[in-house]
Amino acid sequence: MNENEKLSPFHIAVLVFMSQMGIVVFTLPNSLAVYFGTNGWLFLLICFVVSTINIYFISLVFRLGKGRSVFEILERSIPKAVLYPVYIGLASVWILFGSMIGKKYVLLFQMMAFPTTNPMVIKLAIDILVYLLLIKGIYNISKAATFFFWITLWMYPLMFMFLPHFHWIRLTPFIFKEGHDMVKGGVDIYASFLGYELFILLFPYMDQKKKPMLAIYSGNAFVTFIYIWYSLTCFGLFSLKQLKKLLFPLLDLQALLRFPFVERLENLLFGFYLFLVLITVVMYLLAAQEAVRRITPIAKSHFFVFITIAVGYGISYIPKSIDQVNDWIMKLGYTVTGIGFGIPIIAILVLLIQGKGGQSHV
Amino acid sequence: MKQTPDVTLNFQHIFHQFEHCVDLVHRTFPEIHTDILYFPNLISKIAFSSMILEPFANIQLQEVDELFKQSQFVEVFHSKEAVVGVLEGKAAIFNQGKVFLIDIYGPKDRNIEQSGTETVITGPHDSFGESVSTNLSLIRRRLKSSHLKVIEYSVGEVTKSKIYILYIDGLANMNFVKELEHRIKIIEIDAVNEGGVLAQLIEDKPNSIFPQYLRTERPDSAVSKLVDGRIIMLVENSPTAISAPSSFFEFFSSPDDYYQRWTLGTALRLLRFLALLITITFTALYVSVTTYHYEMIPESLLMTLVESRNRVPFPPVYEALLMETMIELLREAGARLPTKIAQTIGIVGGIVIGQAAVQAGLTSNVLIIAVASSAIASFVIPSYVMSASLRLMRFGLIIMAGIWGNLGLIMGVALIIIHISGLTSLGAPYLIPVAPMKGTDWKDIFIRAPFSQLKNRPYQTKSPNQVRQKIRK
Amino acid sequence: MSRLLAAIIMMCMLTGCGTEQRILEDLGMIQTASYDLEENNKLRVTINMPVSATDSTIKKMLLTAVTDSSKEARLLFSNQTELTVVSGQVRNTLFGLDLAKAGIHRHVDTLLRDTSMSLGVKVTIINGKAGELLSKNYKQHSETGQYINRMLEKRGSGNGIMPSSLYQFTRDYHDDGIDPIAPIVKDTGEDAEMDGIALFQDDRYMMKIPAKKALIFTLFKRNLKQGEIIIHLENKKNPKDIVMLSNIMSKRKVKVHHLANNRFKVDISASIRGSVLEYTGNKDLVKKEQRHKIEEEISQYISSQGEQMIKDMQKNKVDSLGIGQYVRNSLSYAEWKSLNWRNVYPQVEVNCHAKVLIKNYGKYS
Repeated sequence: MNENEKLSPFHIAVLVFMSQMGIVVFTLPNSLAVYFGTNGWLFLLICFVVSTINIYFISLVFRLGKGRSVFEILERSIPKAVLYPVYIGLASVWILFGSMIGKKYVLLFQMMAFPTTNPMVIKLAIDILVYLLLIKGIYNISKAATFFFWITLWMYPLMFMFLPHFHWIRLTPFIFKEGHDMVKGGVDIYASFLGYELFILLFPYMDQKKKPMLAIYSGNAFVTFIYIWYSLTCFGLFSLKQLKKLLFPLLDLQALLRFPFVERLENLLFGFYLFLVLITVVMYLLAAQEAVRRITPIAKSHFFVFITIAVGYGISYIPKSIDQVNDWIMKLGYTVTGIGFGIPIIAILVLLIQGKGGQSHV
Repeated sequence: MKQTPDVTLNFQHIFHQFEHCVDLVHRTFPEIHTDILYFPNLISKIAFSSMILEPFANIQLQEVDELFKQSQFVEVFHSKEAVVGVLEGKAAIFNQGKVFLIDIYGPKDRNIEQSGTETVITGPHDSFGESVSTNLSLIRRRLKSSHLKVIEYSVGEVTKSKIYILYIDGLANMNFVKELEHRIKIIEIDAVNEGGVLAQLIEDKPNSIFPQYLRTERPDSAVSKLVDGRIIMLVENSPTAISAPSSFFEFFSSPDDYYQRWTLGTALRLLRFLALLITITFTALYVSVTTYHYEMIPESLLMTLVESRNRVPFPPVYEALLMETMIELLREAGARLPTKIAQTIGIVGGIVIGQAAVQAGLTSNVLIIAVASSAIASFVIPSYVMSASLRLMRFGLIIMAGIWGNLGLIMGVALIIIHISGLTSLGAPYLIPVAPMKGTDWKDIFIRAPFSQLKNRPYQTKSPNQVRQKIRK
Repeated sequence: MSRLLAAIIMMCMLTGCGTEQRILEDLGMIQTASYDLEENNKLRVTINMPVSATDSTIKKMLLTAVTDSSKEARLLFSNQTELTVVSGQVRNTLFGLDLAKAGIHRHVDTLLRDTSMSLGVKVTIINGKAGELLSKNYKQHSETGQYINRMLEKRGSGNGIMPSSLYQFTRDYHDDGIDPIAPIVKDTGEDAEMDGIALFQDDRYMMKIPAKKALIFTLFKRNLKQGEIIIHLENKKNPKDIVMLSNIMSKRKVKVHHLANNRFKVDISASIRGSVLEYTGNKDLVKKEQRHKIEEEISQYISSQGEQMIKDMQKNKVDSLGIGQYVRNSLSYAEWKSLNWRNVYPQVEVNCHAKVLIKNYGKYS
């Protein structure tokens, strides 16, 4: 990879945004209403703060490690015999998480438009797209992500069309009332912010002269903005109990859109979310690939990519219903959240120890 | 160091090489012991008489050596050189064991005419022709700079076609020039007849559906590419100039955009991107909506669509493919036939068949509208090569929409984007300035900002001299 | 190579999906569905589907079934026609008055579960039997389902009877500070007519605002961008004075005052601006004072009508204006929860304040 093929800040921001944003947004207002009740959208601000802290950890690793790959940092102090199984574990979690997100998208589309088609056929097609994207490498993925970003950007302002029906009065002045299981729900909802944590693996690909960390922060901020924008709209358009009953409030909203030539855009718009889902899935698989690459260089080959996707595809056969997939995603989400906080904290500790050791040598 | 002539460098040997070439002429001037070989069809009669006939007729034997010291007579030392020289329209002059070549090339050429494929409404109407010297002259007379450099290569083992690489020293990035030279040097092929052939031979991804180099027939457009810092290639006997590196979005701009006021130019640009959207998705959307997503049709259009579909015996996807194929047939027939007959084809095809197909119940009239508008939209795109690629892609999207409706359509689009985002043109990203993102270049891509705003050369060219203008406003 | 393989696999998928297609002309697209209560708690479902015949005239197909649930009716309909009956183009659902009185939420719920149904589908109450009205052919008008749908859309804004959609209905149904409303349509023989606004308590029809007073109701319910109303000024001298107020634009404001003992006083004010196109009284509109006089009379009329209406609503315990929302938002969560709004509501003292401004009075004085 030559010098001009480093990721510029804009591309990092877009990649962060595209990896975080996914189909969760369709269920997000509903989960917020169910778990947090009135003004549940405010919880997103808490999520934003937490994710920002996590990114701060990542940027600490970046600063202390002077942009070195996090694997290099770990491998200098921790024996490989310990690390390799960890890498395998990380890779499997990421592969699973990625393929479950893909499966969920497929199941939702199946529910909407293709009730009797075998969802695994659609999943296969999506996995082919993932494969084609993944073999192109991070730089081309970032280019595709940027293009996807621009052609999906028009969807977000569509919410303006509901402004006449928006009433603050429906928000009520109560905060987090009529919710339940807020801790479980909080972790669950936090999973919709996941995606930024993968970028700790991508230090070597970043243009280090151009503030890559700021890009991660801003990508995260933009995601938060879109989430709040969507959720706030939903809370102001629907009454709380109604929102609790609408499993996919965003789909219902999009179904209300009417233009002179076309209406009921939810199918088409949901289709556009394929772009976001693609990048999310690809980024998780890429992270898995990066982890395995530390063990064997085979990971760079097309064959390995093929095997990765095939394994993910095979496992996504297991959960059959949307509920089962949600269950998987929830549990994996906990793990991925843990990993998201774990890696930077361990890396910081390792760096501190290395720093002390280094000083004592001098 | 004086070169020694090789042993085969004599009249007999060279004359023998041209055996059975009845169009070769051998003239002798016995008074000065001189033989001349040339192809009369390749030379200019005037040049021949002024540069050879007149001096040779009025010369004394002892003055001959002095005459050949003049610079237009180039002495050659290898018989191969002499043969090639004759083939290139030079006259080979044999005098006392020495061989000279004199360039009197000047066959009949087509006049400078209007471009057939890239017309503009205002602006210069001349276009490149088959004569590469005319083409060079069309560029030189627009670009009076000694920095305009021309490198010559010869490609094609049989045809020995000349290729000229043009660039502006100080504006073009020399890495691109070197890369291009390298790619041309390694071509090994019997014939390169056209710029289009050369473009394919030096493409980064020859299997891609997208053209990776912009081609133009317009000298003004070629000059503006040169000034952007790009490289222009001209091929002998071809009216096509190739510009490199090119970005996908360049294919949607026309010189007209700059010759009109910027508001109009901007509107035209936006119109073309709308055309891009329509041409690749409109028919596919029709298929997807009528096959899967009936709920997307507004109430006011519903019965119109149902009625028009009612008598059609095929599923929408076959119906659409049928009509798209019809349109392509019409277009191809129109392109191959003389203009007058092509008009008849247009009427017969467009009006008669279209009308009859609807009345016979073979297609719905809404589809006819969809197909026709996407065909028209494809012709809005200034580059013929790009518009042909887009039309081909449309078929893929129609099939995808026929399989999975909107999801299929989006998957098709995703496939295209994944493919296109990996493309490069001469090593430079094809999707620049969108991906990688260069916001400042958007001013000359999706809109055509006023000239006072277009301060820099496109980022893609990596020009060593970025600043285009310093208008103070 | 891999790309080629991918393309081939994608093409192969073509074969795997024949049954999924919903080709336009093979569909029976329900345009309007109507629901009536039959004996033994059975449900009579009537649907109409516009179908295009081969001679390209549009006909409608009417299907009826008496079942236990609306989805069961769908299955029966599929057995009655060669077309695939789908619900993605439903525009309007009609509920007979009997059913509305019994409660319609159970049916609305099933409608919403259907992924092809949008929240934009209208909810309309029929004063009478919905199925009968839908089956009727109104000679002067287009096909019945379409006729009613368009009437609701076009006329709705003018007379204050706004169409209600599943979105609005369920939103207000689920909200604890407001009750849903829906327009009522009735059959008048030659035509169908917008009869008024149906007010629900939860999902049960309780009372009706007649069409004449619908606009006044709407003035106190929300901001209005367009509307017209004829007002009979109850003047002692001349009881037949008529003012017609057109191009009405109004803004509504609600203020909640807390009184002792969990009692509330609510002020609803509407500032109304409109032009007078007809006035039969003897005052001169050009003269400022007299015009103000008329403005005041209109204001008073609207306020008293509004208060009367609210009294009726309080009697029936329906909070269609959403006063509860404002009360709720003025309380703390615990206070609101300890309050049984349904029982408190009838005791709330509601005052209506209309303020009318005559923007202009035409081009002829």
